[in-house]
Amino acid sequence: MMDRSDDKFVKEAKALFDDSVDGLDAATLSTLNRSRHRALEAAGNRHPALLRWVPVTGVAVAALVAVMVIEPGPNGVDALPAGVDDMEILLGEDSIEMLEDLEFYAWMELQDGDVG
Amino acid sequence: MSAGAPEFAVSWSGEASTGARALGNEEQLNRFLADVERRALRIAEIAVRDRDEALDLVQNAMIKLVRKYADRSSDEWPPLFYRILQNGIRDWHRRQAVRKRVMVWFGRSGGDDDDYDIVAAAPDPAGRAPEQELENEQAMDSLEQAVHALPARQREAFMLRTFEGLDVADTAAAMGCSEGSVKTHYSRAIHSLREKLEEHGPAGPGN
Repeated sequence: MMDRSDDKFVKEAKALFDDSVDGLDAATLSTLNRSRHRALEAAGNRHPALLRWVPVTGVAVAALVAVMVIEPGPNGVDALPAGVDDMEILLGEDSIEMLEDLEFYAWMELQDGDVG
Repeated sequence: MSAGAPEFAVSWSGEASTGARALGNEEQLNRFLADVERRALRIAEIAVRDRDEALDLVQNAMIKLVRKYADRSSDEWPPLFYRILQNGIRDWHRRQAVRKRVMVWFGRSGGDDDDYDIVAAAPDPAGRAPEQELENEQAMDSLEQAVHALPARQREAFMLRTFEGLDVADTAAAMGCSEGSVKTHYSRAIHSLREKLEEHGPAGPGN
């Protein structure tokens, strides 16, 4: 049960939150505005170009995950205990960014090896 | 041909009315999203502690709402939008956990939280007296950190009820749980926040 002091707390928290919303900077508001228009424009595009790459990326990430589950890591780390959740995430649409990160770190490892 | 003309007229009139309805719907959606986007951004930002990530989450929620639920009644949009956003936030946390494990496998630290710049993420001044503004920012920072530290379901219930102002039924729809669970999570969140903020002195609300 909420008492009067809880109500007061909630009102003050809401006022602080509203204040922080009102104080959002112009650049952020502009980004939000663009996002909204992009969303409304996207209503008609059911198959964005990005999705064409998902099968290719999915196979690449699946191969990577398979290696990581079987082999110990390059730095002596144990093999990755990839559960069902991990696979679902790694093979999902959003894994493209993660794959780019991994490619970057793999490249970094090569550079480190070359320099050393 | 004379028999075809009325048929064409009826068909054209039908398309025009569908087009007008679609335009009207798009305008309504635009108004709804414009009304909700800033609060949604701050809610997402408190949950993930990163403004750029929060902007992405809000944009994805907007796109999914428009694609999947544009034809629903506008009364249904708030709980649907926040359900999509909360699912996005939960997935984001799961992805971060996996990403950290993958980075550890590669021998890299995945401590993204350490990079969070609370000053850069703070809102710009909005014409208030500097002391008042500073006081409010400090109080909001304390509140934000305390809300972020809550268990996920309590955080969702608190932000949807307090910050977005959804009623219990809409919050339950947005969270995908019963109204009783919403009440429990919300009540626990308030008590936990009050305890934490009152413990840490005068910076938080209610002090």
